[in-house]
Amino acid sequence: MKDNRYEQLIADLRSDYRPQREWGEGRGILMVIGHFLVGVAGGTWLMASIYGVIYGLMVAYVLAALGALVHLMFLGRPERAIKMMRHVRTSWISRGFVGLTLFLIGGGIYLAITLLGLTGIWRALAVAANVMAGIGTIAIIGYMGFCYTASKAIPFWHSPLHPAIYIAFAIRGGIAALLVIGAASGQLASDWLLQMWTGVTALVTLFFALEIQGALSSGNIAAKWSVRDLLAGRLAFSFYGGTLLLGLIVPVLLLTNSASNSPVVMAILGVASVSGDFFMKLSTVKAGVYVPLFSPARRSHAS
Amino acid sequence: MNTVLKNKPKVVEDVWIPSACTICYGGCSIKVHRVNGTVVKIEGNPDSPVGSGRLCAKGIAGIMILYDPHRVNTPLRRTNPEKGIGIDPGWKPISWDEALDEITTRLKKVREEDPRQLMVQVTTTLAPSSLIFFPFGWAFGTPNMWVAGGGVHCGNGAHAAGGVTHASWSIVPDFKHCNYAIYFGAAKGHGAGHAATPNIALAADARERGMKMVVVDPMCNFAAAKANEWVPIRVGTDAALALAMANCLVNDLGIYDAEYLRDRTNAIYLIRPDGKYARDPESGKPLIWDTQSNTAKAHDDPAAKNAALEGKYEVNGEICQPSFALMKNQLKTYTPAHAEEITGISAATVKRLAREFGEAARIGSTIVIDGVTLPYRPASAIFFRGAQGHKNSMYNCFAVDLLNHIVGAADVVGGTLGFNPVSYGHPETGRPRYVPRADKDGLMATGIWLLPHVPYPAAEPRKPDSMGFCEMFPLSHVSPLMASSDQEHWWKQFELPYRPKFLLNYGANSVMSVGNKEAVVESLKSYDFIASFDLFLNEFSDFADIILPDLSYLEVVDPRPNYPFIFNHPAGPGEWGWPIRQPVVEPIHERRSARDVMLQIAYRLEMGPEINMGINSYYGLDGPQMLKPDMTYNMDEISDRELKHKFGPERGLDWFKEHGVITWPKRVEEVYWRTFLDVRIPIYHEYLIELGEKTMALSKKGGMSFDPAYYGPLPEWLPCKSHEVKDPDFDMFAFYYRDAIQANGFTMQNPWIDEVARIDPFSYRIAVNAETGRRKGLQDEDIIRLETVKGRRVAGRVKLTEGIHPEAIGIAACAGHWTKHQPIAKGKGVFFNDLLEIDFENTSPVNLNLDLCAKVKITKCPGAKNETAALEMDLAPV
Amino acid sequence: MRLGMVIDLKRCMGCYGCQMSCKAENGTPPGVFFARVIKREEGTYPTMRRKLLPVLCNHCTDAPCVKACPTGASHYAENGIVDIDQDMCVGCHACMVACPYNNRYFNDERRNYFGDEGPTPYEMERSERHPVGVVMKCNFCRPRLAEGKDPACVANCPAKARIFGDLADPNSDVSVLIKDRGGYTLHPEAGTSPNVYYLPE
Ligand SMILES: Nc1nc2c(c(=O)[nH]1)N[C@H]1C(S)=C(S)[C@@H](COP(=O)(O)OP(=O)(O)OC[C@H]3O[C@@H](n4cnc5c(=O)[nH]c(N)nc54)[C@H](O)[C@@H]3O)O[C@H]1N2
Ligand SMILES: Nc1nc2c(c(=O)[nH]1)N[C@H]1C(S)=C(S)[C@@H](COP(=O)(O)OP(=O)(O)OC[C@H]3O[C@@H](n4cnc5c(=O)[nH]c(N)nc54)[C@H](O)[C@@H]3O)O[C@H]1N2
Ligand code: SF4
Ligand code: SF4
Ligand code: SF4
Ligand code: SF4
Ligand code: SF4
Ligand SMILES: [Mo]
Repeated sequence: MKDNRYEQLIADLRSDYRPQREWGEGRGILMVIGHFLVGVAGGTWLMASIYGVIYGLMVAYVLAALGALVHLMFLGRPERAIKMMRHVRTSWISRGFVGLTLFLIGGGIYLAITLLGLTGIWRALAVAANVMAGIGTIAIIGYMGFCYTASKAIPFWHSPLHPAIYIAFAIRGGIAALLVIGAASGQLASDWLLQMWTGVTALVTLFFALEIQGALSSGNIAAKWSVRDLLAGRLAFSFYGGTLLLGLIVPVLLLTNSASNSPVVMAILGVASVSGDFFMKLSTVKAGVYVPLFSPARRSHAS
Repeated sequence: MNTVLKNKPKVVEDVWIPSACTICYGGCSIKVHRVNGTVVKIEGNPDSPVGSGRLCAKGIAGIMILYDPHRVNTPLRRTNPEKGIGIDPGWKPISWDEALDEITTRLKKVREEDPRQLMVQVTTTLAPSSLIFFPFGWAFGTPNMWVAGGGVHCGNGAHAAGGVTHASWSIVPDFKHCNYAIYFGAAKGHGAGHAATPNIALAADARERGMKMVVVDPMCNFAAAKANEWVPIRVGTDAALALAMANCLVNDLGIYDAEYLRDRTNAIYLIRPDGKYARDPESGKPLIWDTQSNTAKAHDDPAAKNAALEGKYEVNGEICQPSFALMKNQLKTYTPAHAEEITGISAATVKRLAREFGEAARIGSTIVIDGVTLPYRPASAIFFRGAQGHKNSMYNCFAVDLLNHIVGAADVVGGTLGFNPVSYGHPETGRPRYVPRADKDGLMATGIWLLPHVPYPAAEPRKPDSMGFCEMFPLSHVSPLMASSDQEHWWKQFELPYRPKFLLNYGANSVMSVGNKEAVVESLKSYDFIASFDLFLNEFSDFADIILPDLSYLEVVDPRPNYPFIFNHPAGPGEWGWPIRQPVVEPIHERRSARDVMLQIAYRLEMGPEINMGINSYYGLDGPQMLKPDMTYNMDEISDRELKHKFGPERGLDWFKEHGVITWPKRVEEVYWRTFLDVRIPIYHEYLIELGEKTMALSKKGGMSFDPAYYGPLPEWLPCKSHEVKDPDFDMFAFYYRDAIQANGFTMQNPWIDEVARIDPFSYRIAVNAETGRRKGLQDEDIIRLETVKGRRVAGRVKLTEGIHPEAIGIAACAGHWTKHQPIAKGKGVFFNDLLEIDFENTSPVNLNLDLCAKVKITKCPGAKNETAALEMDLAPV
Repeated sequence: MRLGMVIDLKRCMGCYGCQMSCKAENGTPPGVFFARVIKREEGTYPTMRRKLLPVLCNHCTDAPCVKACPTGASHYAENGIVDIDQDMCVGCHACMVACPYNNRYFNDERRNYFGDEGPTPYEMERSERHPVGVVMKCNFCRPRLAEGKDPACVANCPAKARIFGDLADPNSDVSVLIKDRGGYTLHPEAGTSPNVYYLPE
């Protein structure tokens, strides 16, 4: 009987620098997927609201619902999920859960009324529901980064930039989604979306560079270990291939080289960007390394 | 924890049963929690001084031995006549009747032919409960009994030395009062050794009190981790260090306890030019020189109070010297510079250690304990497996122990204590009682011993009658010749008139615990029949013909898990405790207690009178509790008699089953007995000269030869076989050590223990010095192969550490199982013993201790998928 | 009353007794150690030191695990004990990534120590304590405390290196030891105010 998770746990207990595996490995990948979907959903809803793209709202809603489902699948005891509302005062997960619930209820009602074309009193309800969904959107875009930042145990995550990065990612995801939707629906796909994409991407890149710089200069050995894992260790492949190539290089190449804003190119750009975001999330989540309980002054190998 | 409360099944039974652990030979007192028939917890028994309510990790994990689904459930018979490593015996379940019929029929025939054809092998783990097996052997009429790997590994040197100078199986610092302890290859108080767990608390108390501890060890192991100073030493060179320290004390610093040496040792005995005692022509008594009358007097004359320790005197027409003077002179060759060369420890450190030790001993000081003024010598030097496990084991032990005697720190307050060599018994019954006494030369003979042989006075060497030749080497108690590669050669040479035919095994896994497997396996193949009691099928069982499923320690009765007290009862001040072992669960399957089965076999063989008498003598039963020759008994009845014999008719087995343990206070004259008894111990081992001459003469007849230097009266440093290897490729000394989490080879199959061992950095790895490793291009987790000049190989994974001598390689426990019947143990750790030769060459010619270090070369095995593959690869050394 | 533990590193010899007694007391599944011992080394040959660090849940006064828990399953129980209500836990792992000391374990599936051979009678007895899908950790042996006993790892420590008591009482053994011997906690920078203290070697 080969029980990989068990073998991994034993190996981790032996090691000095123990990677976080709860969110990101095995079933924990569902947590990352969930965060990814919900993040893109939030960003898409936001962008689609601003630009009034009804397909965008629909896609956002579907993504969020999927995200919620994936989150539930991640839980050890999904049947108790409702209990997660109880600690909004301290818990970011709780806040996110409430936000997502608000979003799904509010967004659902709003979309239903809008799509069914109901009028009169229904419109008033739709406005209220939309406000609710808006609050939910802000919560889901905002909470995710804090789930990680809250953990002092993992210094790489424990950076004030993390929430900002996650917010920027949500928006980038929203833009990317609109690019794809635009391409698919034949509408839209204008320069200002691309300009925004460029701006947000620059911001994300800057934040991320600052985060790496912060980790390296923090003097914290676990944070350095995280950077090592990310840039030159077990996560280098997903970081360079996924985050850097898919998320940055491919879109930038498309942007600079493509003669026209052809819908196909826009769609590819959007998909690449959003996949890059996924790998970015996956790699940074996985790069979390716990502060060792005992920091050896000198390691006998690896030096 | 709400779920617990909700679903709790109805509790119909909830009891705590006092008993004793036997996962190692420590026998700690336990309390077993049984709920609805299931053992749910094993804890220490706070009522007993043997552990005082605390257990080591192994003891707690006993539940997983009890319930291991891989235990043997029924008697098994092999169906495949071919025996060999990796050859499946084809086990087939049989009934007890069938098994016992076959065993008795065969034993009967063997006994009629020549009872010496029977060999009885037991495991050390069960040493205190090996009762029946030894009396069975005696009753049967065979001299061939051994404690498998046990004796030749733990003990032929350590126990002999402990016996000669401390009347005990082993020694330990007086943790309660000692201020400076120096350990030579021992883990006492740090997870191994005798009374392993009780000693932990004592050692911790001592540390907290400020006792300074220096640990001389090639590896910064369990004891060194907690020491004030770790002194890395080249493997097998302990005597060179100890003798240099003795030299510094006696010759440079002039620190020695003249009074102690005069009153308690043979330092004053006059030695003739031929090295032997000058004796009174009439009485034959050894002589001393009375400085008052300026005449020689007998050693037991009151004038011994004024005896000379130095000088030259004419006695019986010869110039004689007190042995102390000879020792002093001989020690001069052991300069700190010499020690530096041999041990790798700087001369300055040697000198400092000697001074610190000497000063810590506070020679001349006294202390009042329980109203009695006693010598106070709070310094102690101890040894065990590490120092003793070599061809030069006898001298290593004597040399280390000499430090205690030089400063008078033996069995006095704060010094080195033997484990409980004096007992005046329970206040109500005066039992058990034993006290060392003086022999005709005034030297101490032990009051009690574990086995029939005694360390002093040693028996007359005689032509061997047993397979192991212990008769010729009477300081040994077991012998590697029982399983050596050259056994047939020597048997022929010494005209052993029989060959072994039947092997009866009680637990030991000798294929793994003695030395290289090929030699052991060859010796096992020569038996017609092997019957083995065990809990599990192991590497040894592949060579058995019948397996008998034993009951575990949690399922059997034993009236004396900690007796004799010289073995595993905590030493030093405190309480005596006599606990029992009792079944805590009902036996299941076809398992039966080996000891009851052995009694049945004996009775079936019509050996009733002999076995009953054997048990009487082993337990010392007399009076109404004596077993009658013509009756049959079971272990419950025998236990009941033993307990009543020691503690009165009202305290039989039932009383003990209820109470678990009886305790009474130790008396000061039991703990610090040295001052109270009129016995001397040898610092000059005069008896060795004659013993050596006789042994040599006898062994020469069969063509056995050895260096007479081993039999000098004063300890010397002699190299191990490993030191004689000069090939520069073979540059590392490999040794093994006890892992605190494992007990020999037995616990590897315990999944709780295995799990901890897998997380431990060292348990399953080969420890290599970090710098050495870097030089050889090694990294953590690399697979390497170790190979001896004889081409013996083992493989394992590297753990680089700063905590090991640059020339040393440390391997934990007795690991590397390959039997498929122990899936948890299989393939874990490194089978160190496969590096060891088993033959007379590698054996101490004094006490038959096997040399347990090996000079090896390291080969890196890149690309090897696993350890087994690494053994096969063809590679160049790094 | 604020319950806490002192681990005297001068006395501890790294025997794993705590790790094992905790396992036996709680019947934790494979790979789960509410108490464990970390064995490392410091320095270079020959002046190196072997270091032993027994760890367990610190029952932090400002417990980030409690903060991170969305359901309230992780909570402060009586006398400052941090415990998990297994009926409340949803298994979101938030507490695990929040604990700076790696003292929490998620029970993802039923495991037996003898694998395919099935659970031993002991494991059958104990497994109900550890429902699948939730997180578990040391609770200072609350059931033992209720019986007036010390936690299992404390009662058993062969070196008597673990002392248990009331940190709120300045005269308790634990408080006095911490004061006299300069007791310290792990990762003070995490701001968790642990209630498990260490005494220096
Ligand atoms: N490499 C290496 N070799 C060593 C040692 C080492 O530490 N490392 N130690 C050496 C020393 S000092 C010793 S004493 C020997 C020990 O060597 P052995 O005496 O051979 O001890 P183990 O290998 O532990 O095997 C003990 C056997 O006893 C069985 N057993 C346990 N309990 C019971 C029981 O109640 N009844 C029965 N019938 N069987 C039982 C176990 O299943 C196991 O098969 O090994 C020596 N060899
Ligand atoms: N936990 C545990 N306890 C046990 C046992 C067990 O298997 N496990 N077995 C029991 C048995 S059978 C025995 S015999 C005893 C043995 O008890 P010990 O003799 O205390 O045990 P070891 O750890 O084998 O040896 C002690 C030390 O000797 C060191 N050493 C090795 N070679 C040399 C050398 O040449 N010189 C010096 N100075 N040191 C050296 C080792 O590194 C080790 O640290 O323990 C008993 N108690
Ligand atoms: S020291 Fe030996 S006898 Fe004592 S609890 Fe540990 S394994 Fe059992
Ligand atoms: S049981 Fe005690 S001595 Fe053993 S490792 Fe744990 S704290 Fe240290
Ligand atoms: S040690 Fe970890 S699990 Fe325990 S209270 Fe503190 S944060 Fe929570
Ligand atoms: S896993 Fe359970 S205890 Fe941990 S935070 Fe989630 S609900 Fe709370
Ligand atoms: S207090 Fe109890 S649950 Fe916590 S580590 Fe100790 S034994 Fe385990
Ligand atoms: Mo032994």
